[in-house]
This record gives sequence, structure tokens and C-alpha cells, in this order.
Amino acid sequence: MGKHEIRLRKQRITSRGSERFRNYNSVLKQHEEEKRIKVIVKIFTYFLIIAALILVFVVVTRLEHKEETPSKNTSVSKSITHIKSAVLK
Amino acid sequence: MTEAEIQKEQDLIEKSKKNPRAFGELYERYFDQIYNYILRQTGDDELAGDLCSQTFVNALNNLPRYEFRGFPFSAWLYKIAGNEVNKHYRKHKGKIIFSIEELKVRELIEQTNDDWDEELITRLIQYMNELPTEMVQVLELRFFENKDFKEIGFILDMTESGAKMRTYRALDKLRINFNIKMKYDG
Repeated sequence: MGKHEIRLRKQRITSRGSERFRNYNSVLKQHEEEKRIKVIVKIFTYFLIIAALILVFVVVTRLEHKEETPSKNTSVSKSITHIKSAVLK
Repeated sequence: MTEAEIQKEQDLIEKSKKNPRAFGELYERYFDQIYNYILRQTGDDELAGDLCSQTFVNALNNLPRYEFRGFPFSAWLYKIAGNEVNKHYRKHKGKIIFSIEELKVRELIEQTNDDWDEELITRLIQYMNELPTEMVQVLELRFFENKDFKEIGFILDMTESGAKMRTYRALDKLRINFNIKMKYDG
């Protein structure tokens, strides 16, 4: 046997059978709901992206600042050593 | 469908893109066709009702992206309905049920073969159970939904010649095994 099964339906399929499922208002309502969820997800995604960008910006700025500070210290200590050696001479 | 009817339908679709309430007319027009198509692939009234509603919700959600590509709007709905049915079977890992009307089967056989009996129908159903599912899907669209090959290709995401070839192969097997001759065209 395959992945399907053929069944014979005794009655002919008519439009009367489908009548109880016909409800456009409920389809419209579900569409509006899904649309609203889509908008919320979109806004949340944008918010996450912006938050991630801000976080990256803050981290990079801090790292840059950290890198700059020791280099300043190094230059200050270098100049102190330079002055010391000049005085000693 | 005539050119004028297609144009009128396109106008209605454009109107529906701006105002979803206008889509109600298309819903009323195609509801039965889509419901019956799903029912033939599930054999369950309730399930067909649910999947049919979801089909129209999806159609409404994706309507802004719909573009006319030379196929009737119904073909697009059939495609969405087919995807919904496949999604259902993937999720529930069940066997695909093709629930076809006995009367329609008899009609199709009578059209081409006067000399038939109940045993032939039983053997035919057994044979169709052994065919690949993709082949049964094509036969179902061709003979139960009366779709042309171009539309079948669009609905099942294949080329028109691919749909033709699949149908011919299935019918050739039928002809050889059961001496049934079905019309290839029309």
C-alpha cells in the first residue's frame, strides 16, 4: 500500500454539505486577528533589531574608550620615564 | 472564463486588496469548489470545513501579493488549499485519504466502457491505491475537478508537460490493466 488510501463515497458531494461551514464573517475576523499579530510581531522584531544595534554601538564605544585610556597611560608613563632619564643625565 | 469575466474578477481582486469586505463575493463564488476539493482529499466534513476556512484566511492574508499570471483566480485558491491539506498530513503524519464519489467513478467508466461490473471498480480502486500519490493527485484534479493541464501544473507546482506526462502514464497503465479508455484531452 502507498502513502494514500482511496475511499469510495456513496453520496455525491453537494453544496448543501458545505453550507454549515460557510461563514465569511469568521474568516474576516480571523484575517484581522492574524493581521494584528503580524503587525505586533513586525514591531517587536524592529524593536529587537534597534535594541541590538544600540547594544552593539554601546559595546563598541566602550571598547574604543577602554583601548584609548591605556594608550594614554602608556604615553604618560613613557614621558615620565623620558623626563626621569633626562634629569638623571 | 471569458476575457470580460476574467477582467471583472481582476477588478474585484484589486478592490479586495484595498477592502477585505469585497473579498466576500469571491469567497461565496469559490467556497463550494474549494470545500469539495479539500473534502475529496480528506474524507472528513469537519476537517474540510476547517481547512477551507484556513485556505480563505491565507488567501486574504496574501492577497496583496497576488498577481494575475494567466490562470483563473480559482487556481490560486486550489494551490493554497492543496498546501493546507499537505500541511495537515505532514503535521499529523497520516495517510492521505482520497474520498471520491462512486457515482462519478461509474460515470467516468461508463463514458468509455459499456462492458463493466462491480468487480472492475473494486480492482480499479485497488490499482489506484498502488499508484504513486502524485499521480492520484493529478488524476483527481483532471477528472474530478475538471482542471486543464496548465492549471494542474500551476496548482501542483510542476510544468504543464509534467502534468500531462503524469496523467498519460497513469492512464496508459489503466488502459493496459483494465481495458479502460479515458479521454486524454478536453
